[in-house]
Amino acid sequence: MSISRVNMAQKKGRKKEEGFRKINGDTVFDIVNWIIWVIILVLILYPLWLIIIASVSDPEAILEGKVLFVPINFSLIGYKAVFKHPELMRSYANSIFYTLTGTALSVVVTMMGAYALSRQFAGRKVVNFLLVFTMFFSGGLIPQFLVNRALGIYNNIWVMILMNAISVWNLMVARTYISTNIPYELYEAAVMDGATHFIFFTKCVMPLSGTIIAVLAVYYGVARWNDYFTGLVYIRNRDLLPLQTVLRELVAQLNSQAQASFFEAYEDGQSIVDAIRKAEVAKYCSIVVSTVPAIILYIFMQNYFEKGVMIGSLKG
Amino acid sequence: MASISRPAAPDLKKEKPPLTKRFAHALSRDYQLWLLLLPTIAFFIVFHYLPLYGIQIAFKDYKAVQGITGSKWVGLKHFKIFFDSYYSGRLIINTLLLNLYNLVWGFPIPLIMAILLNQFRSERFKRFAQTTIYAPHFISTVVMAGILYLFLSPNNGVVNTFIKTLGGTPIFFMNEASWFRKIFIITEIWQHSGWSSILFIATLTGIDQEIYEAATIDGASKMQKIRHIDIPHLIPITVIMLILNCGRLLSSNTTKALVMQQPGNIPTSDIIGVYVYTQGLGKAQFSYTSAIGLTVNVVNFFMIITVNWISKKLGDTSLF
Repeated sequence: MSISRVNMAQKKGRKKEEGFRKINGDTVFDIVNWIIWVIILVLILYPLWLIIIASVSDPEAILEGKVLFVPINFSLIGYKAVFKHPELMRSYANSIFYTLTGTALSVVVTMMGAYALSRQFAGRKVVNFLLVFTMFFSGGLIPQFLVNRALGIYNNIWVMILMNAISVWNLMVARTYISTNIPYELYEAAVMDGATHFIFFTKCVMPLSGTIIAVLAVYYGVARWNDYFTGLVYIRNRDLLPLQTVLRELVAQLNSQAQASFFEAYEDGQSIVDAIRKAEVAKYCSIVVSTVPAIILYIFMQNYFEKGVMIGSLKG
Repeated sequence: MASISRPAAPDLKKEKPPLTKRFAHALSRDYQLWLLLLPTIAFFIVFHYLPLYGIQIAFKDYKAVQGITGSKWVGLKHFKIFFDSYYSGRLIINTLLLNLYNLVWGFPIPLIMAILLNQFRSERFKRFAQTTIYAPHFISTVVMAGILYLFLSPNNGVVNTFIKTLGGTPIFFMNEASWFRKIFIITEIWQHSGWSSILFIATLTGIDQEIYEAATIDGASKMQKIRHIDIPHLIPITVIMLILNCGRLLSSNTTKALVMQQPGNIPTSDIIGVYVYTQGLGKAQFSYTSAIGLTVNVVNFFMIITVNWISKKLGDTSLF
């Protein structure tokens, strides 16, 4: 055996050892990683699962703390109470209306503004600066409240539709999208054919901007659906309240007396204690019913949500 | 057609016509763009610039009858009252601590999640994990608070039932000052850390696969690849996100703190935004709370400017 052969054999041996150790280390890493992710996913999914199973369980079982993994004594009593609660249902309808009209308005206006800002024209930079400035400095809650009240945008549906109608962030995301995705040559060609900005915007930009329109719609839609603060500050007429503001009174309070309204009003002859106990399950149900639209939208539009973050992270 | 405008109008004019003429020319050329911008501009005037004009009530004694412009000037009276009061210190400390703890505990988690998720080979698992970790972001503040009140209820909440079976005494979580920040931050992490990891995940996905292949050939372990490939690639975006977060240390998540506030936790849950809401709208102290709001806005503004300046110096990335 020559020396070089011995060396090679030694090297081979060492390499094998190293390889073995490497695989070992990586395997340990993978196992730990799997364990971490199982924990993360359980931590996220279990509370959601708990709410769903509690919403279809018997109130007694919930109060005794028995509902942990599967529904106990399946019952829809809570959902019945939710769907019979006139104020909750009215606010639900209100929120659907505010979300649909408000989102449509927001998307159209944002696209119009974003298109204009994606072109070059005298004064563009000034407008841009004045818009971005509002992201960093605002009048604050109280001056805004007083101004809106003075303008008559108070306690009516307009405040629900117009408040927060345009977000600068979304406007800038849409502008970035248009200026990177609509080729300038297309505009030149359209101009050759005699198109104006209006025509180019409606016939070319809008049809080619499906992605960003979807992104804007889901962002604006979810923000509106989940907003309780505008209703809290600006709406006094209880018939106009949006879902989240009413929901706050029903589920996000310590005072369970108020929540007993779920049953109190509809089932005569039942004691207040009984009503409060049953209201517990109705709270779970109202949480499910109010969150389902946002989650469904999220699941179907998932890719668009992520795209929005990506476009937003590009420097415009 | 006369109205067709051309982006980036070349500045070839030899002698400049008078300003009014140039203005009229620009307007006739760009009027369609201005019309498209009109709703946006109107919105920002009504909902952002008129309130800026309304800030003057911070220096006045606002009376509803006299209106914003008609009320009497009182100089810095309201600012003095605020800074002399017992509340100012508590509010500022509560706001700062809540944001600071939230940053310390909440910031690293999305980063770690992104790095760990990136180690999985299975695209299907990644997809599933991403769908799951983003989902809580779409739960509203009110629903989040509702879940807390249900789960943490001292009588029959899941958490206290568990404590009781272990033989402990139930804790009134939602009404105790010592628990407010913990609950607030844990739920922030639960709801938003998945969503915040999107940018980091995207950054890692963008890394050239050849680098990993080369590292594998050189015998690098997964930990070594994380240390020498993933982390260096994540540093720029991490620094920017961190700096931006530092610029928001005095801002308030009013909507969430408000739904979580109960009589018992006021010593810690009273942050500036909530105080402005409860005192301003609840007790109609419009001028006083406007002064508080203005102070915070000015401080925040300069913090963001500073932070942006720092991030510009450190790298070439900045907000504006």
